[in-house]
This record gives sequence, C-alpha cells and structure tokens, in this order.
Amino acid sequence: MNEPGYAPAMGDASLWRVRLGLAAGSVRENWALFTKTRIGVIGLVIIGLYALLAGAHPILMNTVWEERVYDPVVGYAFDETRQPAPPSLSHPLGTDPLGRDVLSQLMFSARTEFLLGLLAAVVTVSIGTTVGAVSAYFGGIIDTLLMRLADIMIMMPGISVLIVLSALIGVDHLELALIIGILSGFGGTGVILKSQALSVVVKPYVEAARIAGGGPLHIVFVHVIPNLLPLSFLYMMFTVTGAIFSEAVLSFLGLLDVRMSWGLMIHTTESAGYLLQVAEYWWLIFPASLSITLLCSSFYLVGRSMDEIVNPRLRRS
Amino acid sequence: MSGRPVLAVEGLSMQYETSAGLVRAVDGVSFAVQRGQALGLVGESGCGKSSIALSLLRLLPENARITGGRILLNGEDVTALTEEQMRARRWSSISLVFQAAMNSLNPVYRVGDQIVEALDEHVRLSREDANARVRELFDLVGLDRAHIDNYPHEYSGGMKQRAVIAMALSCDPDIVIADEPTTALDVIVQDRILREMRRVRAELNMSMIYISHDMAVIAEVSDVVGVMYAGRIVEMGSTADVFESPIHPYTRALVSAFPSISGEKQELITLPGEPPNLMDPPAGCRFHPRCPFATDACRTEEPPAVRRGEHYAFCWNPLE
Amino acid sequence: MTSYLLTRTAQMGLTLFVFLSLVFVIVNAQPGDVSNFYSLDPDIPPETREKMQDLFGINEPLWKQYLVHVRNALSGNFGVSFGHYPRTVMDVIGERLPRTVVLFLTATVFSFYMGFGLGKIIAWRRGGWTEYTTTLGGVTLYTVFTPWFGLMMIWLFAFQAGWFPIGKFLDPVIWRDAPTDANSVFLRMMLSAAVMSAAAVAMFAISRRLGIGLPAPVRALALAGVAAAIGGVWLVSGIGHLAWDIVRHMVLPVATLTLISFAGTMLLTRNSMLEAMREDYVTAARAKGLPEAKVRDRHVARNALLPVVTSFVFSLAFAVDGSVIIESVFSWPGMGQTLVDAAINEDLPLAIGAFVFVGLFVLIAHLVADLLYVYLDPRLRG
Repeated sequence: MNEPGYAPAMGDASLWRVRLGLAAGSVRENWALFTKTRIGVIGLVIIGLYALLAGAHPILMNTVWEERVYDPVVGYAFDETRQPAPPSLSHPLGTDPLGRDVLSQLMFSARTEFLLGLLAAVVTVSIGTTVGAVSAYFGGIIDTLLMRLADIMIMMPGISVLIVLSALIGVDHLELALIIGILSGFGGTGVILKSQALSVVVKPYVEAARIAGGGPLHIVFVHVIPNLLPLSFLYMMFTVTGAIFSEAVLSFLGLLDVRMSWGLMIHTTESAGYLLQVAEYWWLIFPASLSITLLCSSFYLVGRSMDEIVNPRLRRS
Repeated sequence: MSGRPVLAVEGLSMQYETSAGLVRAVDGVSFAVQRGQALGLVGESGCGKSSIALSLLRLLPENARITGGRILLNGEDVTALTEEQMRARRWSSISLVFQAAMNSLNPVYRVGDQIVEALDEHVRLSREDANARVRELFDLVGLDRAHIDNYPHEYSGGMKQRAVIAMALSCDPDIVIADEPTTALDVIVQDRILREMRRVRAELNMSMIYISHDMAVIAEVSDVVGVMYAGRIVEMGSTADVFESPIHPYTRALVSAFPSISGEKQELITLPGEPPNLMDPPAGCRFHPRCPFATDACRTEEPPAVRRGEHYAFCWNPLE
Repeated sequence: MTSYLLTRTAQMGLTLFVFLSLVFVIVNAQPGDVSNFYSLDPDIPPETREKMQDLFGINEPLWKQYLVHVRNALSGNFGVSFGHYPRTVMDVIGERLPRTVVLFLTATVFSFYMGFGLGKIIAWRRGGWTEYTTTLGGVTLYTVFTPWFGLMMIWLFAFQAGWFPIGKFLDPVIWRDAPTDANSVFLRMMLSAAVMSAAAVAMFAISRRLGIGLPAPVRALALAGVAAAIGGVWLVSGIGHLAWDIVRHMVLPVATLTLISFAGTMLLTRNSMLEAMREDYVTAARAKGLPEAKVRDRHVARNALLPVVTSFVFSLAFAVDGSVIIESVFSWPGMGQTLVDAAINEDLPLAIGAFVFVGLFVLIAHLVADLLYVYLDPRLRG
C-alpha cells in the first residue's frame, strides 16, 4: 500500500484526486505483482467466464431460447421424448428429471450466485471494516465489547446455524447474504481488519488530523477506513467463496427457499434418484457441482494472490 | 604480523538483485585478519558491512551473489566450497554473533539446548560432555549456570547477548564475526559486554571481526580498523593511526562525530547528504558528493592509494 | 498461564450462554409455539404434548420461558425426539456424539499432519511448480463442493471399485450374531485411540526433555510398538472383526474430510513459514552449520506451528461444519447427520439439542486448542 506520509491540507476534491492518482499508480504496480502469482490470473479468467455465462442468459432468453422450453424453473423440453434427456444440439447439457434445460439453469444460477456473493461480501466488509476501524480507533470498552462479540461469532458453526435457521424460519437468498455478512463481519473479518486498523491509527497523518481538530467520526471514515480498503477488498473475495459454498450446501439439502440455484439442481437430481448414476447421467451432476467448485476456488485464488500483495510480510524482498 | 592470516579477503565483490535493479553492496574489498587479532569494520548503515559478514559465512539471501574475489579461511577458498563442505566450516571454523542478538535465539527452545545443538552438529560429544561444555561456556561469558535450562524470554537483553556469544564460541572457531554485537543494549551493559568479549578473546587467543556503525565501540575493541563507504574500504590501519591521524575526510567526519575519543579540540566536519545509491554509485571517488574538499579529479577518476606505513586510504586530497 | 486459561474458560462460559440465548431467539422467532410441532405429529399422544408444554414453560411469560430454556439446555433436558419417538433427545445424542467426535478427531489429526507437512515443503520451494500445482490442487479441494466430492469418493471407491462400503456406520450382516453391541465396541476403539494419542504425546514430551529433537526413526519405532501392542489385544479379543467393520466404514468419510480440509492448514503453514523464515534465529541456525532439513523442521516449522495453531482455532467452526456435511453425505449416524435430518424432518427438539451440542463441541475444541497452544509456546507457560 502506498499511502502518503501525511494528508496535506487541501480541499476534499483535490485530496481525492491525489488519492486517485496514487491509487492508479499502485494499481499498475500491483497488477504486475498480481499477474506474477499466476494462480490469481487463473481465478480471474474463470470468474470472467462465469460472468459471461451469467450475462448471456437474458440475451439468449430474449432471442433464440423459447421461454416455455428454456425457462430455468418452469420450462419443459417438449422436443425430448424422455426426461432427463442426454445432451443434444438443442440442449447442449441435456435436461433434468423435470424436463428443464440444464444449460439454461446453469447460466441463470450463475447470475444468482454472483449477486448473492456480492451482497454477502458487501455486507461483511461494510460491517467488518467499520467494526475494525471503530474498535482500533476508540479502544477501551467499545473495543472490548466488539472483540468479545467477535469471539462468539468466530465460534459459530455457520452452516449448522443456517441449517437450523432455515429449518425453523425459512431463509431466502437475501436473508442468507445478511446472515453470512453478520456472522463474518462481526466475527473473523472484523478481527483481521481491526489488527490492520491498529497499524493505521498510529500513523502520523491520523495524529495530524486529530490535532487539526478532526472529529472522531471524520477521522475514522476519512483517514482510517480508506487505508483499510485494500485488505477489505481482499476479504470480500473470501466472503464470496463462503457465501456461494453455503448457499450450495443448503440448497443441496433442500433447506433454502430459492427458485433455482446450482445446489438446488443437485438436490433435484438426488430426489429423483440419479445421484449415484454418475457415469450414465453425468450432466445432472457435473455441470452444477463443477460450477460451484470452480467459482468458489476462483474467488479464493484471487483473494490469496491479493494477499501476497497486500500483506507486507509475504512480499518478496 | 607474521604467518598465514586466519582469514584473508581479496577483492571481494557481491551484489543483490532487486526488482529495481542490481545493488553492488560490496565492491572490491580486501583485508586480512591474523591469529589473535581483532579487526573493526566501521561505516554508516547500508555501506555493505553486514553483507561482508554474511558473505564470509556464505549465508547470503537467494537474491544475492558473490561476483568476484576470494575469501581464504585458513588458506582455503570459501567461495569454491560446495554447500556441504561450507556447512561443516560454519561454526567450527567461523562463527557469527548476530546483529540483533536478541532475536537470534529461538524462542521455543531452552538456551542450553540451542548451544548443545551446535555442538552436536560439529563436535559429537556425549550428552554429559556436551552439558559440561555448556557449563564451561556459561562460566566463560559470565552467565549463571542456573539459567542453562531457561528459555530466551526469561533472559534480559544483556544475558541474551552473552548467551549468543557463548553459542558463537561453543565449537572453538578460528574466527568470530560480531555484527553490531551491542547495538540494542543500553550503554552500561554495552560496555560490560565489550570488555567481556575482549577478555575472552585474549584468553582464547582468538581472531575477531567487529562490525559496527559506532566508532566508539570499534575504537574500544579492535586492533586494526577498516573504514567502509558505499561498498568499499576507504581507509585502513591500526586503531591508533586511524583515530589519531585519519587520512580520508570521511574518517575524519566519523571520528569527529565522537569527540570523546581524542582529548584535543578538533574542527568538527559535518557530513551533508546521504550515502549514495548503490545501484548507480557516483563516478570517481564515491564520497565526492559529500566531501568538503572535492576537486575535479575526485569527480571523474578513482582515487589512488595513499600509504603511510601499514596505514592507507584511497583519496585525492589526503588529510595531513 | 492459569489466569489465561481461566479467562478463556470464563469467556467460553459466556459464549455458551449467548449461544443458548440465540437458540431461544430462533425458536421463538418461528411461527407458533414449540408444542405445535408435537400436535402436528399424529404419532404423539396429547398427554405428551401437555408434558412438553410444561417442559418448555409455554404458558409462562417470555422471560420465564427463557429461564426454563437455559435451565433445560444446561441440564440436558431437550425433551423427546419425535423422529425417534419415544426416545429422548439426550438418548439419541448420547449414542451419536461419540461417532462424530471420533470422525472429526481422526480427520483433524490426519489433515493437520498432511497440511503441515505439505505447507512446509511448498514454503521451502516458493515460486516453483511444486508450489503452483500443490496450491491449486489444495485450494480446489478446500473449496470443492463438499457433497459432490463425497459423492465422487463413494462412487469411485465404494460403487465402482467396491473397496469400501457405501456409507453408514456398520454392516448389519456381520453384526447379526455379534456378542456385543456396536457402541461398546466403538467405545473400546476410542479407548485404543486414546492410548495411542497418549503414547504420541508422551513421546513428544520425552523428546523435549532430551533437548532439541529425538531422531524421527526412534519416535516412529516406539509408536509402531504401541500400535502393534494395541493391535494384538484386539486380535485376541474375539471382537476384532467387528471393530474392523467399523474401521472400514470410517475410511471413506475420514479420507474425504481430510482431503477437503488439509489445504487450510497447508496454506496457513506456508504463510507462517514464510514469515518465520525471515527471523534472525533462522539465519543463526544456518550459521551454526545445521543442514537445511534441520533448519526447516526444528527452527522454522516449530515456530511456524504457533500461528498455525492459532488460525486453526479460528477455522474450527468451519471444520465442524465440514463434518456435518460429510456425515450427511455418507449417512454416518453422528451429530451432523442428526442435525440435518432433524432440520429436514422438522424434528424440532432433536434439531435444537443437536445444534446446542454442535455449538458445545466447537467450544470444547477451542478450549483444547488453547491448551495445546499454551503447551507449545514456552512464553505462555510461565
């Protein structure tokens, strides 16, 4: 991170211009480092491919795919004589036991997964960054309370909590994202961001801002949080992995109120009894499972590669 | 001075490969250490002192390479040894007291065990003999035997320093390199440790190289002094000569930064600027951008050696 | 040290309390009262329903219900499961908890060893192809869609190759005229494992007494001796084949759980090693003339172990989640499968009981890991 040693007295606009300039410079430099790690690039390529799939789905639905056949939830492949049908020209990944096009389900779900991941990540990181910055800046009783809360959150077995919650009160995608965000934001992510924030609050420019009469909230939001953002962004990647994974497991168990998702696709396969016929009905199992695995791994790999750059202790000499 | 020196360094050069470019940290350095002699290397941080220490034991990081010269340890060229041969020489022939000795003890092992570990590697003693040797070493450096089985965190700074010295002496090396051995200690402890090291060296008739940025430390413990600047030795001679009648303006500046050394009044030379960037060192004499006496010759041509007996320096405008 | 552990224990007690309160909130947030669940089940007579209402304090004000809830949980009184009617929740849990503990502990030990060993190697060869392929493989397994991976393991090694049974805990055919029941055999197996672990810990302690490191072959030989002795006892016991049947059922779930979780430890170890490698005592160890393997294992890895254990504590909850999923994929009748089945079948008392025990399990695992950490770091032992 290339932060200036102090924040010079300037108008907010020009201050941000300086920050953006510095950011652009460090983006170029960090991009070079990022590409050097290779595994991060592999991750980015896979994420890009799935983004393309997600983006292409509405276009296909509006052009070549007829809705009553290709709708991921209520469509039916009238052109096939028996369901599930193996891959063909009109259905490249075949159809599921209920006669729905697997490729269409896969692409439709990709968008859901991205939205879910993004939402969970934003919630997590907003909470985590605020908790970290506030805890580090104010210290004392606020810090103690937030960190004890974090201890509790860390000990929560997230998936088990979600299993119980979904069984008792029902959980949809939005609630899922919020629960994951709260568990992780007040838990592990908050703790890690706090340890980073501790090294920020002792920097001279924070002291300078305080002497210049900056209020605590002003300092936390203008001086501390911006310096946490690189690390926050990194933890967004790990949260996305966690969110997609949790969603997949819960909907695989049939516990989530969702219309369509990769986990649900495998749940459908299981309830129809095709789960152990891996070789005969591979298209019912592999596309969805591999997608979950690939997308989770990709975000994780990108996060790790960013860690190599953001974490000074891992930087090469 | 007679006989073959314990250690002779001839035209040693080494460089670091960094993302910004090649850093030539050591550039054509030569010196020799006789049996029982103590050599002091002094200079500002970043002048290549510690790189020399690491080169002597061939403990350089991956991005560093020795590019020229020879290091003769008891007449044997260390740079030509295989890694396995080198490993056998470390500690038994040449050992090191680290810069930041505080951190050179492993926190999870007992201090005594860490010394035994070195003994086990080189001397092969029975457990009982090894323990006896540790007790002997503790006595030698003035540590209470009761602390042999303690962990490093239970030691004070001065005790750790003594323990590290005991460890360096454990395998009876021919030469010990002490890299900033007392920098982290307060002045009183520092003084005591230095005196202790001098006593131990006299007792064992051992050779040593002291490396420090602190003229006062070097003056106190060494027989011969080499002054380093920007990867080179700019002046070398007996401690008395170098301190009392320096030839090089840089040496004078360093000496005058410690007025207590010589009693008489001396003109204080201030050093403007910073040591040069070793990726792109200045032409001619490397000191010229900061030298108050710099002339045109200094800016373009390598300075010649100025010899006054065993005492010499590289300078175009030597001091009287 | 004692004060540190006391503080930690107090914290855990508080956490348990908060956890129980959370369960209460969840239960009360769902529509209707708990006993409604019983009335929906035609198998459960009305008297039981009334008893349940008393047990849960349904007709009392909310704060009293809360007190009743905490008291019930602390005394292990979760009522009667209606999936397993008329067995009590505690009875079901008592049967299944040991199975989860064994599965989880075995897999955790394996995955820790594997992750730590591989992490050491890839840190030592940073930037090489070994590192890329291992990292890529490890991360893929770490983030793999667990149910699918479990399924593939079953399909490959049980269904196609036929080497192992397909899921479950034991094979009823073998157990038809067994002289004893599964749980007592299983308890004896746990005892054997405990003896084995005690031997390993003793070996570690003795090795530490003797200075830095006992030669690895000596340690391995001693452990092999203890293992052989235990094996001998089982052979002459006459119930060895029954234990063997359980072991055969354990192999796949343990292997799967190990494979999906080792990468976490591996990646942590790598980073922790890279940090430890910069320490002065590592250069000092090299300067002492130690061979690279000793520098790596005794000095870098031994210190890298500390942050790995810390972070491992952080990921315990995740690991427990992993075994919940694996159990339900392999039909391993432990707490995880109990929790999932109870949730799917809306067996509310059992779901709550299982959930509380899963939480308790994580808490105890934390405490054990804390103890381990104190043991490993002399600076904390005082």
